[in-house]
Amino acid sequence: MKNNIVIEAKGIVKRYAGADRPAVDALDLVVPKGSFFGLLGPNGAGKTTLISMMTCLAKPDEGSLMVCGLNPEKESLKIKEKIGFVPQEIALYPTLTARENLAYFGSMQGLSGDLLKERISYCLDVAKLHDYTDICVYKYSGGLKRRLAIVVGLINSPEILFLDEPTVGIDPQSRHFIYDRLIELNKSGMTILYTSHYMEEVEYLCNEIAIIDQGNIIACGGLDELLGETTNKVLEAKLSKELSHDLKEKVESIPMVTEAFFNSKTMTLCSPSPNETMLALSTLFAENNIKVLSMSHGVVNLEQLFIALTGSRLRE
Amino acid sequence: MINMQRLISSIIKEGKILIRDKEALMILFIMPVIFVVIMSLAMRDTFKSEEGALLGIALYNQDQGEVGKKIVEAISALKIVQVYSLSNEKSVDEEAVKRDFAEGKYKFAFIIPPDVTGSAEDKVAEKFEGSKEGGAEKIRVRLLADPTLRSDHVNLVSSALNRILQSVESAILMKRLKVVFAEIGLETALSSGEGTNDDRIFSEVTLSSDGSGSGESMPSSVQQSVPAYSLFAMFFLVIPLSGTFIKERMEGSLLRLKSMPVPSWIPIVGKIVPYFIVNQIQIFIIFMVGIFIMPLIGGDRLDIGNSPLGIVLVTFASSIAAIGYGLMVAVFCRTSEQATTFGGVSVIILAAIGGIMVPKFIMPPLMQSMAELSPLSWGLEGFLDIFVRNGNVTDIIPELSMLLTFGLICLSIAIIRFRFILR
Repeated sequence: MKNNIVIEAKGIVKRYAGADRPAVDALDLVVPKGSFFGLLGPNGAGKTTLISMMTCLAKPDEGSLMVCGLNPEKESLKIKEKIGFVPQEIALYPTLTARENLAYFGSMQGLSGDLLKERISYCLDVAKLHDYTDICVYKYSGGLKRRLAIVVGLINSPEILFLDEPTVGIDPQSRHFIYDRLIELNKSGMTILYTSHYMEEVEYLCNEIAIIDQGNIIACGGLDELLGETTNKVLEAKLSKELSHDLKEKVESIPMVTEAFFNSKTMTLCSPSPNETMLALSTLFAENNIKVLSMSHGVVNLEQLFIALTGSRLRE
Repeated sequence: MINMQRLISSIIKEGKILIRDKEALMILFIMPVIFVVIMSLAMRDTFKSEEGALLGIALYNQDQGEVGKKIVEAISALKIVQVYSLSNEKSVDEEAVKRDFAEGKYKFAFIIPPDVTGSAEDKVAEKFEGSKEGGAEKIRVRLLADPTLRSDHVNLVSSALNRILQSVESAILMKRLKVVFAEIGLETALSSGEGTNDDRIFSEVTLSSDGSGSGESMPSSVQQSVPAYSLFAMFFLVIPLSGTFIKERMEGSLLRLKSMPVPSWIPIVGKIVPYFIVNQIQIFIIFMVGIFIMPLIGGDRLDIGNSPLGIVLVTFASSIAAIGYGLMVAVFCRTSEQATTFGGVSVIILAAIGGIMVPKFIMPPLMQSMAELSPLSWGLEGFLDIFVRNGNVTDIIPELSMLLTFGLICLSIAIIRFRFILR
């Protein structure tokens, strides 16, 4: 494993008993050191399973995985000393205060004495929780709980911080506070692996993105690089009114259209021949007195990219 | 060293969570104290009204003759006792009966001496021949009664046995009279009656315990209720213990712990130690209530016997059994509701069948046998051995062994399951 790579997965497979397909299926992935790496995919795509293997919570059934240059099967304790993990759940003790939670998890990470106090102070500072230090967590707002949950993952000065959908269920203000702190941490040199099904936040935060679907990485790279890959495959039209059921069926039956999604007056189509599709649509709408307010083709955001790659919406 | 710091931190964390859980504190400390006060006061008077209850009595008839047979028949006909006839069992001798009785296998044992028929007939013959020597040496029969039994139960059984013996000896006298009258050619209607005490051929039934106690050391309602509800409270830790464990799983803290370099034994031992301490505090508080508060409010003072070490050992063993059971429930239940329902109900059932809510000695024999299955019953018998039977550490070894075995089996299952969860 090269020095500038912190995670390298080759052909890893993870199966759960009773499942009809592997949760992670022959997946290859490289996470560069110092990157803000986004793992994007719909629910059930395999993000949490993948992160579980990287954080030594689950073992791959097949393939090889290296984290911080170490093999999780043989050196899980060493890896756990080098990583911080923030699960989807708040994962705190509600009847303990912020300081007590940090002290407990810090000592579980092997910290003690002045070093532990110093790290607690640092974490409280990052989360701006000094005014709430000695208040039990159950009295916190959702945003405060999330902030504390994230900084608990920093208590051991990790080389890699894993965040599994850390902004679920919190208000936009708290979300942006978290984004800002994470960007600062990444700028200070920390590698961050961030899973989400919110495309906006992955677009906003991450400089490296992997799109995962059905246990496989279907695209990986920088944002611009990814968007460039699928240019001209997606076509979006804004219409004067919502299409009737019959018209939707006619759109779907246009030969070049591989997928069609309708959301009120907006229509998103996948097509390998966007120009021909646009022509066919113009004819169809003219015959049915539907005005096209705007029509564009080419991928402009991750949502469209995901549709182009998987043929399904991210949040389905 | 690092692991020791982790363990201490884990214990402190668990202690803080428990101290801040008002509902758990209510369950663990307030509830048993209320139970002890109410049940001790209530039981003092209400126990007098269960004459229909069956009392187990081991009957060992060594006599081959008619007298022994009649005594057995008469005792078997009593409605207040359940007879365990040992006469036909080859492996039984008088010492074995006494030993089984001393171990608490039977609440009563009634031993009919060998050749009591011959002795009785000789006594009657002596009376008819005018000898006064026979009156001095009466045939002695002994009733062994468990010292934990209430005095009115013991009196009930002993007076019933005395009546039976009087009836039997009257029958022997009548039979002899008929023979004498027939010899002198006199035919008359004879009716049985009770002779004076001097004329008796059987002595009054004498009470005896197994030698380790006396009739004076009967348990009071406080001696029954205090250890009973202390054990109930100790086992009720299943609710807060499983609750915190399941919350850790549901709220993700356990997942976070799994991602840290923490050996799997630390979270488990981190829970065992504080709850073990809680159990000791429970016992201390409830016993103090029994010793100091109960006399002030009209109850008896708790007499804790003469073996403080025995009390400590029973408390420790009961605590290990309770924590083991609590952890086992915790690792197998998936939700707090499951744990609260299953844990709470199972402890109540174990308490009910184990003689906590209803003392074992007023249970029918089948229920008394079922009580042996409950670890709460083992703990209670351990305490009663010390409080009432003046037992020492040697006497409570069987109860300690059962409690520790149960606790260690439960703990082993819990640890295996927990390691599986952590994987």
